[in-house]
Amino acid sequence: MFTEPASNMPSKSFGIRDMNSVMFEKDGKINYHNMPELMWGINKKWMVHLQGFVSNRQEGGLEAEGGSLYAKYRFLSKDDLQSHFRMAAYARYSLNRADIHQQEIETMGHNTGYELGFIATQLLHKVAISSSVSYERALDNMPDYKFPSTESNSAVNYTLSVGKLILPKTYTSFTQTNMNFMIEMLGQRLNSNGKSYLDIAPSVQFIFNSQARVDFGYRQQLYSTLSRTAPNGFVLKFEYTFFNVFK
Amino acid sequence: MKNVKILFAAMLLLVAATTAQAQITKAELTATGLTCSMCSKATYKQLVSIPEVEKVETDLNKTAFVLYFKQGTNVNVGSLKKKVEDAGFSVGQLIVTMKVDNQKAENNTSFTQNNISYTFMNSTPKLLSGEVKVKIMDKGFVTDKEYKQLVKLAKQYPTYREATANAYHIKTL
Repeated sequence: MFTEPASNMPSKSFGIRDMNSVMFEKDGKINYHNMPELMWGINKKWMVHLQGFVSNRQEGGLEAEGGSLYAKYRFLSKDDLQSHFRMAAYARYSLNRADIHQQEIETMGHNTGYELGFIATQLLHKVAISSSVSYERALDNMPDYKFPSTESNSAVNYTLSVGKLILPKTYTSFTQTNMNFMIEMLGQRLNSNGKSYLDIAPSVQFIFNSQARVDFGYRQQLYSTLSRTAPNGFVLKFEYTFFNVFK
Repeated sequence: MKNVKILFAAMLLLVAATTAQAQITKAELTATGLTCSMCSKATYKQLVSIPEVEKVETDLNKTAFVLYFKQGTNVNVGSLKKKVEDAGFSVGQLIVTMKVDNQKAENNTSFTQNNISYTFMNSTPKLLSGEVKVKIMDKGFVTDKEYKQLVKLAKQYPTYREATANAYHIKTL
């Protein structure tokens, strides 16, 4: 739910996604983020996403704060019957004009900056295990907010996720609803001062008509030595894939 | 005049003989690298987009597809492999049903059909006629494990490693 697998979308397909997060601040105030996304499967190895960031953090309701460009390149794929091992490299570049109010670096919705990483996924029958490692660098949130020079402007992220196909037990048609359970561990360590956090995020995914997807999850901080405004909360994500859109 | 008629009939027969084409009517394809129905749907959508395909049946539990081809068309099995790979997966096994006309199945001999050559390997010598099932043995049409075993037979089948988009190796079933 918070991480991408090493697999890509099918070639020449187009997807739309909308991620809603409702995160709780210490004083009970709610931090709402909406991130709409457009996704293109260019070919079997490349996919590209364009994402927008909207949140209620500024006074006066919802505001568009920025966006990002994301690309993933699958460079290894070893397939076997109902199993695979894949690896991909990814890069994200984000722009965000909101104020910087925490030590956590997050180019998906909080910081201007970039992220470069690797993902590995092992699928074995109904279980998929993924892991990723990345380098994330925060830049100034132009035009008004420079990244504080006293803080660490870069971090290393590490994730581990396990997902399992729960239903259906046996397939009878494409129209059956699929249900997956997933648990993700998401961590970050700031490079300049070694401060870090670790979160756990269980989620459930429903796939309808083998084409539409709804994810619902909860993210919970396990520990943190760095300041974070609203690390815990619920996430609801919608996704739809259009096949064979391009020639 | 009679000679012209005979000549004309002879020409017609000759044309008929060379255009009596063998043809691929069906393919049974097992895809690898996937489990869930969304992945199978992506593969199905790619396979039905092949112009020669009439219909595709899917076995979601085996991630296997049966493709029926339109009458009079001649599909290149390479396009089946490409579509599966475009979906993001691989071909683990491909068995095609072909209509052949008195074809001798002998290892290392080949026949051509619509500019595509098929060379026999690992096959029991026999005479093939009518509808026959053959398995495509080339890289990308078998699992990696199976390909590693088949490559060891390169000395026995010298053309095996040089398979191209228009030259395949087949095994009779």
